[in-house]
Amino acid sequence: MSSHATTHSGHDAHHDDHHHDPGFIRKYVFSTDHKMIGIQYGITAMLFLAFGFYLMMVMRWSIAFPHQPLPEWMSWVFTDSWKARWLQDGKVTGETYNMFGAMHGTIMVFLGIVPLGFGAFGNYVTPLQIGAPDMAFPRLNMMSYWIYLAGGLVMCASFFMESGAAKSGWTNYSPLAGFADGQIVNQWLAGQTQWLLGLVLLITSSLLGSVNFITTIINLRARGMTWMRMPFFVWAMLVTGFLLLLAFPPLEAAGIMQLMDRVAHSSFFMPSGLFTKSEGLADLSGGGSPLLFQHLFWFLGHPEVYVLLLPAFACVSEIIPANTRKPLWGYKSMVYSVLVLGFLSFIVWAHHMYMTGMGAAVSTFFQTTTVLISVPSVVIITSMLISLWGGSIRFTPPMLWACAFIPMFGIGGLTGLPLAFNLADLHLHDTYYVIGHFHYVVAPGILFGFFAGVVHWYPKITGRYMSSWLNHLHFWPSLVCMNIIFFPMLLQGMAGFHRRWYNGGDAYLAKAADSANVFGKTVAAHIDMNILMSMGAWTMALAQIPFIINLFISWKTGRKVESDNPWEATTLEWATPTPPGHGNFTFDPAVYRGPYEYSRPDCDKDFLPQWIEPKREESADAADAAKTPAAHH
Amino acid sequence: MADTPEAVQKSIRTYMFVGGVLFLGTIITVLVASVPWLDVGHHGFDVMDAILGLAIAATKASLVAAIFMHLNHEKKAIYWIFGSGFIFVIALFGLTALAKYDPIHDNFFYDGKPAPAVEK
Amino acid sequence: MEIPYVVTPRKDTGLFNSKIAIWLFLASEVMLFGGFFSAYVFLRLGADYPWPERTLPVLPGLINTFVLIGSSVTVVFAWAALKMRQWNKFRMHMTITVVCAGVFMVLKGIEYSVKFHHQAVRLHDYTVVEGHLGYEMEDGKHVLDHHGHHIEENQIRIEATGLTFSTVRFHADWVEEMITQAEHRKAKITLASDIKARTEEGSSEEVTIAKAGEPLSVELLKRVQDAHLKARAHNGALRTAALRQEWAEAKAANPGKRGWQLASNVNIDVKALEDSKRMLTEISTASFKVEPAARMDFKPRDVKEGATQSRLRDDTVIDGKMLASPMVFHNVDAIDFRHLAMKAVEKGQDPIVAIENSWLIKNDEFARKAWEWNKQEVAKLEKKLIDEYGIDEKTGKPKREPTAKERYRLGWQDLARKAESEGHGKLGAVERITEEFKGPNYEARGKETFPELSVPREEIRFASKFTPSWNTYYAIYFTITGLHGLHVIGGALVLAYYLLFGRKMYETNPEWLANRVEVGGLFWHFVDLVWIFVFPIFYLM
Repeated sequence: MSSHATTHSGHDAHHDDHHHDPGFIRKYVFSTDHKMIGIQYGITAMLFLAFGFYLMMVMRWSIAFPHQPLPEWMSWVFTDSWKARWLQDGKVTGETYNMFGAMHGTIMVFLGIVPLGFGAFGNYVTPLQIGAPDMAFPRLNMMSYWIYLAGGLVMCASFFMESGAAKSGWTNYSPLAGFADGQIVNQWLAGQTQWLLGLVLLITSSLLGSVNFITTIINLRARGMTWMRMPFFVWAMLVTGFLLLLAFPPLEAAGIMQLMDRVAHSSFFMPSGLFTKSEGLADLSGGGSPLLFQHLFWFLGHPEVYVLLLPAFACVSEIIPANTRKPLWGYKSMVYSVLVLGFLSFIVWAHHMYMTGMGAAVSTFFQTTTVLISVPSVVIITSMLISLWGGSIRFTPPMLWACAFIPMFGIGGLTGLPLAFNLADLHLHDTYYVIGHFHYVVAPGILFGFFAGVVHWYPKITGRYMSSWLNHLHFWPSLVCMNIIFFPMLLQGMAGFHRRWYNGGDAYLAKAADSANVFGKTVAAHIDMNILMSMGAWTMALAQIPFIINLFISWKTGRKVESDNPWEATTLEWATPTPPGHGNFTFDPAVYRGPYEYSRPDCDKDFLPQWIEPKREESADAADAAKTPAAHH
Repeated sequence: MADTPEAVQKSIRTYMFVGGVLFLGTIITVLVASVPWLDVGHHGFDVMDAILGLAIAATKASLVAAIFMHLNHEKKAIYWIFGSGFIFVIALFGLTALAKYDPIHDNFFYDGKPAPAVEK
Repeated sequence: MEIPYVVTPRKDTGLFNSKIAIWLFLASEVMLFGGFFSAYVFLRLGADYPWPERTLPVLPGLINTFVLIGSSVTVVFAWAALKMRQWNKFRMHMTITVVCAGVFMVLKGIEYSVKFHHQAVRLHDYTVVEGHLGYEMEDGKHVLDHHGHHIEENQIRIEATGLTFSTVRFHADWVEEMITQAEHRKAKITLASDIKARTEEGSSEEVTIAKAGEPLSVELLKRVQDAHLKARAHNGALRTAALRQEWAEAKAANPGKRGWQLASNVNIDVKALEDSKRMLTEISTASFKVEPAARMDFKPRDVKEGATQSRLRDDTVIDGKMLASPMVFHNVDAIDFRHLAMKAVEKGQDPIVAIENSWLIKNDEFARKAWEWNKQEVAKLEKKLIDEYGIDEKTGKPKREPTAKERYRLGWQDLARKAESEGHGKLGAVERITEEFKGPNYEARGKETFPELSVPREEIRFASKFTPSWNTYYAIYFTITGLHGLHVIGGALVLAYYLLFGRKMYETNPEWLANRVEVGGLFWHFVDLVWIFVFPIFYLM
């Protein structure tokens, strides 16, 4: 839409699309359209999420019923031959549990949530919200998706190999991860190595993606879209982009070094004199440092949780104003908070490493920054809460999810505080308390935010609403099950349940049935919770069925939208045709005001979209818009 | 701004000069490391040599960044981007090194002897 | 649809898209190399062995630095030429840039290949010996493995009488190698006994899958493997069903009891299952005889050797006693006592005494003489340093003292100097320069300079080529320079693309090409910038 493009921008872009039909493959498979890529990301990520969920269901069986064979309703997926390799008389073995555990974490984090939040929502919504015709580099965008898919497939392919998939936890700590699968002669065909290869591909994909996002947000904003008029969604994506861009490379470095350890037998992370049961005295030079891996891993690992979280914040912060019909409370403080959050997230990583023998000074530093980082998170979540105050709330399907997001994330966030203090962490480290904490953040928190997002933008993507009835059928059981699964974890954790007990504490009971911890809590008193939690987990799988039905049925049969702006929202994505065509806008978008102008007293309607041209010189804002550069000339 | 052809023409000499300085810097680094009477600190390699070598390298690197990569007159956005990378790389260096230097001492665990007395 | 600001900068940011993108990318590259360099710092600070300082040949590194700096200058000239719309100048400068990249990679390739052929060994007393290994010879000819490659004289030799393979995990390539070796030694590897198995549920007949006396082949192992995997899957399903049955009964009999309270009493009746003839026979291993007992060689990394039984990484068990398996240096080109001295000091011993008690000094004439020579050289150096810099009056110690490297290491230059002082192996100037790139010239200098040495297996603590596995220094060196090399190749490909295919764009939209070259150039400068740190850190420190 620069001077070269004036002839084009006169056209109806949507209309354009029909004239040069790019063909099925170019349109749906190797598409360069950010919206199609977003949808591809979304569908792929949801498939991976379902897979990761399934792994967890198997693990929960082993925890609740450790001595009983996996029931047929779960084990039918495997072939007899696979079962003979990995299940002992149908029971989940420790090795298999470790494999599923490692891959559950990896898949959920790297293949599920990040691509769903950043890849799918970010891709679909960001260019629309800033009034751009597409991403700055559409082909790079396509490449990001395909590299992501390749990385995911490489990782998961190892399930079907002799070695099995990676088994050393999603954190892949050396020296354990350096040795695992050492019996495999061709290391390139070992699950543990493929995990690293997959990881390097995923990181590459994320880097390309984040370069694209940030460039788009910096340079492709519409006329008048100044920084402080950007929706909070875009800010969150910008910060997410920076987190990916700068936090991922050190892990890529660690991944490459661990790959060297595995295939070139170097000793980056292997200490001298390492002796293992399988290998005896390791045939390695030694001299390396296992701690180095932890540092590099968590340098990514901590920003990564904000990479997961910020897109959920982003979705919810769009949905709340649209459904309370009042501006987002404290927009500016939220923006500054998210920037501070992004910055601080880089210097808190070693709170994952309190138990590694760091000295008091370093521990204190990281404890301080960790406690500090809760401040911006709380500012954001409080702003969302206050945004509800005094609004005329419409309990639309997305709002339902958004409202559940706030308390669920609240529990997740607040249970993190005790872990920030290294004294409390000594007790809680590696217990189910930790699992409960971060699952509260990720599952009922972040995932609820994403469900909200799906329901919210579905009408824009398909032109139809999702069924509200099916949505209720999805939402309520999910909300109940989430709490049934995760709340007992907090209790179990405080009673001392270790997070890696593949038999749910049963073996511990056999050895020390009457031992109690410092709080007088016993494992025996909490072990039956395992069954309740597992039941909850399996029920939750059922609860997702209405969603899947809804997602596909509504595409064809849902209630049609009445206008391009069905929620009567103010941000630019609702100014496009439904669904938006290639090139997005049918007019040259310009922005005249902030993103959340709801219920303005000087306005007849209760919302004033960003793109509506003011009738008269309203304020200094409008004058600004005329001045802001934009470069459309 | 080195964006107009005339300005670019003017910068050519600067580029030549900087190239020369870089060559010279490299030679100095090697001489400092190999000629005995240029050896700083103790005989052979030591911390002083490391500091000197890295200082020369840092100077050369800043020249490349400032002149060849035009960081001496760049747009604000670029400074933000590069600055953020720079800050966090320092954080990565500083904090990991700090963690390395401040461990709970080994003898705390298994030496059998009491930990060294803290001087007051 | 057209993406704005591809060529012309946006007014408020002043930037076109790809310039933002490349800087973002460079920021992430800073973090990537930052990760590696912080690993370097971490590893070096925490090294529990003497860090090999100033160990790489400086000349190739120096030339590479010049080459990269030069190309950095020409790439900026190429961009300037485009800005001034001088196509021919652009072409010239860009060509030089790409050629420089080529020179850089060739030198790097030589540097790498020298290291990959250079062996080091750390003995049990921490003496380090470096040099070039010999090859297995028989009747004046090289022995070849089944791929047709020479075999280094660094093998675990076992007088094999029997081989037992894991039918699930055997490594086909190793099996082929064993067959070749047995043929070479005129021995036969044959199946020790019939492999019979029930392959159909309920049948009382056992099928013979392989007969005793069948020669070892990958095909045979695969045949057994198929039968085994089929049986394993079948039996697994049976046992699972049986266990389910047991649990159902146990739960019915004990209402209200928790699973973990019952678990110890719930078991499969394996015998009943087997008696029912529904189980198929699992054949997890296959044993072979080697007749007559024959020597077989295995690479040290692949085998956990034992006096009478050894085990390969793929779970193959080799029966037979281990023969003398020395590691034979054709040419020793360095003897290094630094690690030994460091360990001695840690233990509170005198390093000199420890060195003189080492296995190498006690068992090797050449090493003993070289060490004596070295002691004199160190004494000379000590005197020279005192003469030049004097003695610190406070401590009474010399102001400057020889380094640990000078005291305890005899590198190839030292050995060459020693031999030259004795009148051996004098080289011309050209050969000397070549040595700077390709390492010591064994042929021209001869065995007087670089003698032979045979190290018994039991003296070896750890052995490796000069690859990432030798120590963390080489690990980080290869990783950083390798990654840097990939960046050089990538950058050169992009620049070469502009050079070869840029003409059309130059004619239609020269400013766009200039932008692209600027972006490519920014990347190139970054690659140069990384090297500016790599060179002193790895070559001079």
